[in-house]
Amino acid sequence: MFYVRYLRNELVRRRARTILTALGLGLGVALVIVIAGVSSGLDKAQKKTLNPLAGIGTDLTVTLAPQTQDTGGFNGGGGGGANRDLVQANLSVVTDLSKLGKAGTHFVHDFFLPGSQLTFKQSATSQIASIPGVAKVSQGLTLLAEHQEGVVPKIVATLKTQAKTFQIQRNIPRPTAAQFAQMQACFAKQAAKSGSSGSGTTTTPNSGSGGFGGGGGGSGFGGVNRGAFSKCLPASMQRLRTRFTAPSQTLKQVLDPPQTNIKTSAYTIGGVDPTDPTMGVVTTAQVTKGKFLSPTSTHQALVSQTYAAKYSLKVGSKLNLNGTSFTIVGLVSPPLGGQSADVYLPLKQLQTLANEKGLANVVLVRATSGKNVSQVKQAIQAALPNAQVASSKDVADKITGSLVNASNLSHDLGLVLEIIAAVSAFLLAALLALSSIGKRVRELGTLKALGWTQRMVVRQVAGESLAQGLLGGIFGIILGVVVCLVIGAFGPSLSASSTTGGGNLLGLGAETARTATSSISLSAPIGVTVLAIGFGLALLGGLVAGTAGALRAARLRPADALRTVE
Amino acid sequence: MEPLYTLRGVTKLFQRGPTTVRALDGIDLEIQPGEFVALEGPSGSGKTTLLQLLGALDRPTAGDVLFEGTDLVGLPDHELAGLRLRSFGFVFQQFNLIPTLTAVENVEVKLVPVGGDRARALQMLDEVGLAARADHLPAHLSGGEQQRVAIARALSVEPRVVLADEPTGNLDSATGAEIIDLLAKLAAEHGSTIIVATHDSSLAARAPQRLRMRDGKLVDVPAAVS
Repeated sequence: MFYVRYLRNELVRRRARTILTALGLGLGVALVIVIAGVSSGLDKAQKKTLNPLAGIGTDLTVTLAPQTQDTGGFNGGGGGGANRDLVQANLSVVTDLSKLGKAGTHFVHDFFLPGSQLTFKQSATSQIASIPGVAKVSQGLTLLAEHQEGVVPKIVATLKTQAKTFQIQRNIPRPTAAQFAQMQACFAKQAAKSGSSGSGTTTTPNSGSGGFGGGGGGSGFGGVNRGAFSKCLPASMQRLRTRFTAPSQTLKQVLDPPQTNIKTSAYTIGGVDPTDPTMGVVTTAQVTKGKFLSPTSTHQALVSQTYAAKYSLKVGSKLNLNGTSFTIVGLVSPPLGGQSADVYLPLKQLQTLANEKGLANVVLVRATSGKNVSQVKQAIQAALPNAQVASSKDVADKITGSLVNASNLSHDLGLVLEIIAAVSAFLLAALLALSSIGKRVRELGTLKALGWTQRMVVRQVAGESLAQGLLGGIFGIILGVVVCLVIGAFGPSLSASSTTGGGNLLGLGAETARTATSSISLSAPIGVTVLAIGFGLALLGGLVAGTAGALRAARLRPADALRTVE
Repeated sequence: MEPLYTLRGVTKLFQRGPTTVRALDGIDLEIQPGEFVALEGPSGSGKTTLLQLLGALDRPTAGDVLFEGTDLVGLPDHELAGLRLRSFGFVFQQFNLIPTLTAVENVEVKLVPVGGDRARALQMLDEVGLAARADHLPAHLSGGEQQRVAIARALSVEPRVVLADEPTGNLDSATGAEIIDLLAKLAAEHGSTIIVATHDSSLAARAPQRLRMRDGKLVDVPAAVS
């Protein structure tokens, strides 16, 4: 077909112009595809990360808020003031070096602290479950863990104490009347045994002299044998003379704050009910590798992707927590929010490890319908005045980080950028087409002089532009896809963080603050729709350019066209 | 016999900035079919304007241009395009070949819209002695060769009239003479009337009929040959 050959010749033999136009359109299309891809990537990441509660099958989370004044109501773990409990619970991390073992031995120990969320009893969970509008509840335990590892320092000294003799001197209490009578009888008996050793053997002691002083013994019963006499004393008077000796002791003691190589690292640990994989502090939906805890699991664990990456953990790796070994069965990408953790164990195991048997510190609540979430929230707050009830929005609002920024940017600017990219590409293509027509006035005039109708000329010019649009579209799609793949492969990592707890909590802020960070590698998924739109845009750009050129060409009068001399 | 062209009081005005240029000033003319007419005159005398009116490339400001009895002034654009396609052939001073098309494709530009094919285009190139250069781009052809391609293009549809505007203007005199001879010979073979505008009176002298123009008017019109 001659017209097609002509078109092809125009494109091939005016290569520079063709390439420039296709490049311009292609870049515009690529930009639109990449922006759309990144935008949808961000949307996906956001949906996953910034809608934290939906991901774990929950509408509300209920935690016990530490109060400045203990108002009772929602019973804290120990029953005392909630704050005092919190301080005490969190102070239990103080390491007693003397109890770690022999100096020079390596030790590993994990301490589990409730962080800013106090634990509460099962009854609270049942109470929430009974509130109308609540479809389902699930309890979880998220704790702050301090992992300590190091060598027991040698500064634990051993001291040997000297043996010591204690001597006690005390006044002997006066005997009672009964004792006195007994003693008298005894003395009389002794005196009789010793014969006529004294004149006053039959004489009764002077009843008027109440004192039975120490000195009286010698003068009053001078003639009586001392050993036999002492037998007449009551038992309590004899015991007072007993001597005792303190044994030699060996004491171990920390002499000074010792310099050690003990490293402390903090992480968060969550207890999940493995029997319900759809609702809990982490659910099957967040498993990115491996699988969820099996319903009967006891020694299985899940770790977050970020934590796994940080400590090179894989599915199958072992975690040793205070002597209990847990096998990592899956990696999870937990949703951000108050309840995300680095490590997840079956709830019962964590309760045992942390000495929190039967206790939880978060109740996840699913409402019967999305409409009555706020109503349920109010009901829970009324029933449990100390409870902190958070909805998805409350949690999402606390999330910050580059993902949020990028996502906001993409929301605010994405469409605008796309329009700018597309319009720029169109304008470029149109300008190039117009300038091309300007340079081809004589050629187009000649065609008209030769008898080509308006329609044929316009068709040819528009066809060229459309073909350029086609090329631009193909080029743009290739470029866009490549850039999207490159972004997916080497894309910047976006992070989203959510900090809960902390604040002005009796100086415990820093310790109880729990920052969960989710790192998401930016990806730019390419949808067929986006590609089709990109391609359509390129064709449209070509058409716009073609129409602009064709309109100009159509307005040429053949005579004027021929008069223009190059 | 009906004249090929009948022009009555044809006037053409151009607006060039603030001044109005009277390119043609009341031309009355008849041209019979089969003639070889030379249109002489200095630059700016109105030769090109007259050729454009004869070739239906433009419309007069006033007057009538009748082609075989039909007034071109009243015809819509697409009918004028049809006339240009089938009845007229143009040869230009600048050759006006499409730079991206080969010699044979440049002939096809004219042929294809009327259903002609490549074979016919090659045949026409053969007639102008360029069969061997059919696949060359204009840029690779000499001026004389380019003009031959233009002549092959103009004559490919067997037009009623070939309108040549300074066809030798960009050629040396020897080539120019060859071109005029070729044009005259082929026009005769294809039964076309040929009207050549030129400022070169030696070339004009080769034409059996000469029209002389000055300031938009025909001067010294030789007696019409019937």
